[in-house]
Amino acid sequence: MGVPTNWDGTLSSSEFYVSARSLSEKWKTTYPALPSWSWNSCARPFGCTSVEIQGYLSLQHFCCPKFVEEEIGDEIYEEEEPTSTTKDEPTDDATLAHSYDQVLHFYDLHIVYNISYRVPVLYLRGYHSDGQPLASDDIEKDLPYHSSKLIKDSRWTFMTVEEHPYLNRPWYLLHPCGTSEWMKLLLAGDAFVPEREELVQQYLLSWLSVVGQVVGLRVPLEAFKNVTTPHTAADA
Amino acid sequence: MAAESPSSVRKVVVHLRATGDAPILKQAKFKIAGSDKFAKVIDFLRRQLHRDTLFVYVNSAFSPNPDELVSDLYTNFGFDGKLVVNYACSMAWG
Repeated sequence: MGVPTNWDGTLSSSEFYVSARSLSEKWKTTYPALPSWSWNSCARPFGCTSVEIQGYLSLQHFCCPKFVEEEIGDEIYEEEEPTSTTKDEPTDDATLAHSYDQVLHFYDLHIVYNISYRVPVLYLRGYHSDGQPLASDDIEKDLPYHSSKLIKDSRWTFMTVEEHPYLNRPWYLLHPCGTSEWMKLLLAGDAFVPEREELVQQYLLSWLSVVGQVVGLRVPLEAFKNVTTPHTAADA
Repeated sequence: MAAESPSSVRKVVVHLRATGDAPILKQAKFKIAGSDKFAKVIDFLRRQLHRDTLFVYVNSAFSPNPDELVSDLYTNFGFDGKLVVNYACSMAWG
């Protein structure tokens, strides 16, 4: 196919922008009831001159589902919070049973292009319903079990607090050092490699399927249904 | 709930395919109840490979959430009577 076989799993900043638009469009059509991803244009970060596209993708006010440790069997919770990511999935009877605290926690998620690694990075900020920022302990408790375990095991290489490149305030971020490697595996690990254009369109959505798991944000399966590879060509 | 969707009761054949430098399993295909979560597939792989961290993905497109139902994955991405699941030993973080 027409893609460089030596693709290293990274994107240029303008490709990031194309991929961001594609994610936001697809998210809107498959998950119309949920908060949507929107593009925020802004001035170039301080000291940075090499990036053509200035801005980031943002999902505001995401209500983080509370996770109960591990399996609760097949108990069925039909009623989900309106902002929960599992809404409108009719066959969702075996998800983790979410128990909601009296207090709801909200998250703003930003996807920012990282110039050094040439990959997207997830920044997040948690706050109470009155806008008070969440303490790091609260955030750790909100994360799914597998993430809180990761935090304990690899604290400095997984999630840390750094300055948001556009907002210049401390935000949590997920470390990008492994991203290009698993993105390469994910999109070009097979014998079949999609066209560059297709790859760019698909990039952020595929990326989010991995990164979203860390914060409990679920990417709808439907979003991946149009991806045609030899395995699904007949189904699609 | 399960009665409403008979496809979730059915068994699904999962084909585990090693990528990168991941070791190939002796038994690469196995059957799993459609009503099981994808977490079960990940656990199986972890036990077989004696590794805590794995990168597991489907269809060269995405990494399924552990809470996803195997039957849903099969319905959407199954082909030729089986669900192909790729795995690699690289770590997503750190």
